Amino acid sequence: MRTFSRLLLLLALLSGGQRPVAAETRPRSSAGDLVDQFWTIITDVSSRLHPQREPAKPRVRPQAIPQGGTPIDLSDLSRPTIVEARLRSTLERDDGTRRLTVAGGNARQGDFSLGSSEDLKGNLLVVDGDADVYGSLRGNLVTVDGDVVVHPGGVVSGDVLTLGGKVRDEGGEIGGEVRTLQSAPRKAPVAGEAAARLSPFESVLRRGAGVLGVFLTLCALGFGLVMFGRQNLEVVSDTVSHSFGRAFVTGLLGQILLLPTFGMLVVGLILSVAGILLLPFAVAVFAMLTVIAVVGGYLAVAHAMGETYTRRRMALGVVIGSANSYRYLLVGLLGLASVWAAWALFGWVPIAGSIVWGAAFFVSWLLGTAGFGAALLSRAGIKENFAGRLLPPEALTDEYLWATPQFGVPAGRRPGTRTPTRGT
Amino acid sequence: MTVRPGLMALALALGTSPAAAQTMRPFATFRQMHGETRLGARLEYAAGSLRIAPGQPAELYRMDLSYDEDRFVPLSDFDVTRGSVLLGLRAAGDAGVRVVSRNQLQQVASVAFSPRVDLALDLMLGAVDAAVDLGGLRVSTLDLKTGASRSVVRFSQPNLTRCRSAHFSAGAAELTVIGLGNSRCDEIEFEGGVGRVTLDFSGSGTSSARVQVKMAVGELTLRLPRNAGVRIAMDRFLSRFAPAGLVLRGNEFVSPGYDRSQRKLDLDLTTAMGGVNVEWVE
Repeated sequence: MRTFSRLLLLLALLSGGQRPVAAETRPRSSAGDLVDQFWTIITDVSSRLHPQREPAKPRVRPQAIPQGGTPIDLSDLSRPTIVEARLRSTLERDDGTRRLTVAGGNARQGDFSLGSSEDLKGNLLVVDGDADVYGSLRGNLVTVDGDVVVHPGGVVSGDVLTLGGKVRDEGGEIGGEVRTLQSAPRKAPVAGEAAARLSPFESVLRRGAGVLGVFLTLCALGFGLVMFGRQNLEVVSDTVSHSFGRAFVTGLLGQILLLPTFGMLVVGLILSVAGILLLPFAVAVFAMLTVIAVVGGYLAVAHAMGETYTRRRMALGVVIGSANSYRYLLVGLLGLASVWAAWALFGWVPIAGSIVWGAAFFVSWLLGTAGFGAALLSRAGIKENFAGRLLPPEALTDEYLWATPQFGVPAGRRPGTRTPTRGT
Repeated sequence: MTVRPGLMALALALGTSPAAAQTMRPFATFRQMHGETRLGARLEYAAGSLRIAPGQPAELYRMDLSYDEDRFVPLSDFDVTRGSVLLGLRAAGDAGVRVVSRNQLQQVASVAFSPRVDLALDLMLGAVDAAVDLGGLRVSTLDLKTGASRSVVRFSQPNLTRCRSAHFSAGAAELTVIGLGNSRCDEIEFEGGVGRVTLDFSGSGTSSARVQVKMAVGELTLRLPRNAGVRIAMDRFLSRFAPAGLVLRGNEFVSPGYDRSQRKLDLDLTTAMGGVNVEWVE
């Protein structure tokens, strides 16, 4: 309790100390602001836990790079990525003393300036510095982590390539091509990378919110299904319960045959010429039916799970207020969501998180496949053949009405009775 | 003892390192004008979105690119002796292009050519969303080959020189060519596989053109200017044709007043499956 109060105090201090201007100018009446503030706190705490490390780039004293090592040819700059790979591997290979040979040219490190009265022949490489060209360079110019500035009157007769820098043409003349291969900035992270960068607390919150969102969506869909299609849902649900193995195999085959069926449908419609006009409609209907079968089947599995669980509890004597399809569905969806809730809680843990995710995915796929198969078997809840509802004739016998429960076996006459005759 | 699990959890939390991110890398190339009068430009662009437009007169060409350096390599090679340049983006290695996610298509390229040089433009587009505006350039020939792309080619302004030919070839693509009347092309040829194609012949041009269209499966829409005389020769199989405003003369469909028109469009259409629509524009 004391820890919790300290945490609250810390959060309050952080929120109060971080954005006073925003606190003064923005009214905090809406829930959106509260959520925004909450995420700001989380971001601040996270950034304190994982501070950005941007190493400062040291200035390099301008000097010529001593010759040595494998000569580098800068005469062909048409493949800048290859030139870069070659240059950087050479530059990174040294251990303190940098040695580099440019075939037919010069190599320098640090800022370099070519004076207006100078005329330099051969290719020039400038590393860790800018190249200012006022004079004439008869050859190619390459900079690594530096800019090229061609000033008025400056001439570069060949190509210019900057790796991790920019080219500024301020009125000079460049005879060849100018290429700029900048340092790669971080791409906008995709969902997985963004999740990987989050702190565990953020990760749990984000995953939990996702699971909750999916759960609520399925609840809404399921309640709608119960409201408007209870009969079909119950038949599919009974099919799952009564013929699980058969439903699973059917669902598996259905998944395998889904794409070939779709392909045959499209090709058939195209070949029938007249049917080509129906193609968009057929594609849309096919997609819609598939989604309905998958989602409806999954909800039917949840219904079956909930019904089984509820009936077992009732059998144990637990008093349950209203045992209806809404309850079955809710209980079943809670059960299905529990595996994903485990992933939401522990998904950030290396290796174990992946295992939990895999397990949750496998369970969901298994049940989804069975539900899909049950939807196919029962024709979306129209046919009750596999739902365990059609009793065999022998089960319909009544020992009170018939002398013998067995079909095809002649009934024995009871002593002291006579066979009734029609019309008597 | 009870503190240890908490410490372990904290250590795990702090030790969780971010995954290595993929990189989109900027690349730019240009060449100053040095008195060139012609330029043969070949643009190969494997995947992403592409924009082509007229550039600054002082620059022969320019390409600004943001590409996925894990999968592609930029192309930029000017041949001084031929006066030609190769630009674009090619798949790294020899495995071809595999579009595996939408992120891969976030590559963006902007290419510009000088309006001062006669331009022989050769475009090879892969999985590309392209917006090409050639209005105001001096396009002498145009060759466009597209794969699974969505391309809009526009002549928003009249071509500054006479265009000998324009050839379009599309695979499974959606191609729209707008303002062919501004292109001033003598011969226009289109070959299409599967897709939707719109050829818009509007524009201020007054020159006649011969147009050849071969379409396998898909929908072809012809937007024809009312001030031009139009003749369409059809060779179709299992495809429909709505000759709105055209009259049948022999084996051909012609517009009223075709013989008197100064600007004539002679179209030879070969279609297999699909439909050909005719729309009239002012």
